[in-house]
Amino acid sequence: MRPYHLIPAVPALALALMPFLPFVNTDGLWFGLPRMLVWGAAWCVLCTPALLLTERQMAREGAELTDTTATVTTAEGVDQ
Amino acid sequence: MTTILIMTFTGIGLIGVLGFAGRRKPAADLSEWAVGGRNFGAVSMWFLQAGEVFTTFTFLGMAGLAFSGGVAALYALPYVPIGYMVLFFLAKRLWSLGKERGYLTQGDYLEDRYDSKLLGTVAAVLGVVFVLPYLQLQITGLGLIVQLVTGNSSSGTLSMIIGSVLVVAFVLWAGLHGVAMTSYFKDVIMLIVLGVLLVAIPSHFAGGVSAMFHRIDKLHPEMLTIHAGPADQVWFTTSMLVSAIGVGLMCLPHAWPAVMSARDPKVLRRNYTWMPLYELCLLMPIIVGFAAILVLKPGSSANGILLTLSKQVLPAWATGLVVIAAIATAMVPAAGILIGISSLVARNIARVQGERTQFWINHGTVVAACGLSLLLAIFRPDLLANLLLLTYSGTVQLAPAIALGFLTRRPVGKVPILAGLFVGELAVIWLTFWNKDLAGNVNVGLIGLAANLIVLTLAAPAERLLARRTTPASDKQVAMTA
Repeated sequence: MRPYHLIPAVPALALALMPFLPFVNTDGLWFGLPRMLVWGAAWCVLCTPALLLTERQMAREGAELTDTTATVTTAEGVDQ
Repeated sequence: MTTILIMTFTGIGLIGVLGFAGRRKPAADLSEWAVGGRNFGAVSMWFLQAGEVFTTFTFLGMAGLAFSGGVAALYALPYVPIGYMVLFFLAKRLWSLGKERGYLTQGDYLEDRYDSKLLGTVAAVLGVVFVLPYLQLQITGLGLIVQLVTGNSSSGTLSMIIGSVLVVAFVLWAGLHGVAMTSYFKDVIMLIVLGVLLVAIPSHFAGGVSAMFHRIDKLHPEMLTIHAGPADQVWFTTSMLVSAIGVGLMCLPHAWPAVMSARDPKVLRRNYTWMPLYELCLLMPIIVGFAAILVLKPGSSANGILLTLSKQVLPAWATGLVVIAAIATAMVPAAGILIGISSLVARNIARVQGERTQFWINHGTVVAACGLSLLLAIFRPDLLANLLLLTYSGTVQLAPAIALGFLTRRPVGKVPILAGLFVGELAVIWLTFWNKDLAGNVNVGLIGLAANLIVLTLAAPAERLLARRTTPASDKQVAMTA
């Protein structure tokens, strides 16, 4: 489990907990629409930036891992 | 009426023709037919995956659920994005395994990962049994659409027969390429039609979307909340959870050919990233369903409200377009499901020698499965939403087996997996057909999954202990390295 795995967990939790949040699961409207609908739609939209951010983190970590491996290999090469 | 009827049958014919246009020559082998030679790019993958999400259930069922349960219909909004976020992480591993080991089906994956033909066959049988109602749902939906707009049940039956024959024909000819070709048409016409309905229906009956919700807030505030009753918070959360597990762990067998057909894992990951935005289209039929709360009497046929309102608001030719879009949401997913079912039978159930025989068994299954579903649709039609939940609760019992199969070093063998699967399915069947009240509003699939996991957790150490007692070397076999 790496930190980037937790980024999509935020929208996932916000969506799963939707009916239990008293300020969401109540009558009344936000922007002329049901609160549940606005909340659900907003967090669905945020899933995409969350995954894009995750991909960036994964790529960065992957690059770091490659750098580390390269350094270790070079160091081993020097030792030999 | 004549205009709508002519457009209906023209639409059915057009979808059939587009399906045939998917290939110039029929596919020569099962791999080419079922997964298109594993060469599908981002656009084709996008429409194939969307094809699985936007079905008759989405088009008619969502509006019906909003009409009868208000915001409870929103349970269908989050489960696909949540499932896709899981698949975002699994895509690379799944695709690489599929490519390396030559998987075409879910059964191939389970058989290979657990080194068990029995598990592959059991999973395939369960897949066929639980997905057949989903195929029937599409055909029943097709007949219902035509019956609703023409008011004539024989037109509905005739459209089911013609639609099924055309689906079988283009699936046999073009395989997954045919599904991809019809998917482009389906999504474009569906989005146009839903966009028009989203504006036209609330404007006609309430003066706009916002004005409509203000009236609902005043007259039916209970429709804006999840409250005590059959669609309460427990129902909402457990139904959403089961469906999300089903999507995220690829429990539905017809999801496999589309994923296996991707050119590379980057295509899959990119689609899983952007698909949640496309999911917002689900809100369109839901909002139309809310309009029906103000217009129709409570207890009106929920599945037909989208078409009933369309007929009241739009001219005949525009209603004809709505019908074509609705028919496409039935025929295209039906084609995808047929590919999923037939390849399971040919690869994991029939187990014949020779690629040619396997190919013919596959094609025979396409005809048999669609024929059986058509008969069921004509003689035993059922409520759309309930069938979908039964499909998910049954197939989701494969989730532990699929999830553990991704691990390089498997912590359990085939026996605990099979034991858990057996108990899980037994619980689902018992709670669905014999003791309906026991589960309350909890989705039976989740109860089955809990029983499944308990048995799996108990059987895994027992299997290891037994293996150690009989032969110390068998330990290595249980924890096989991929």
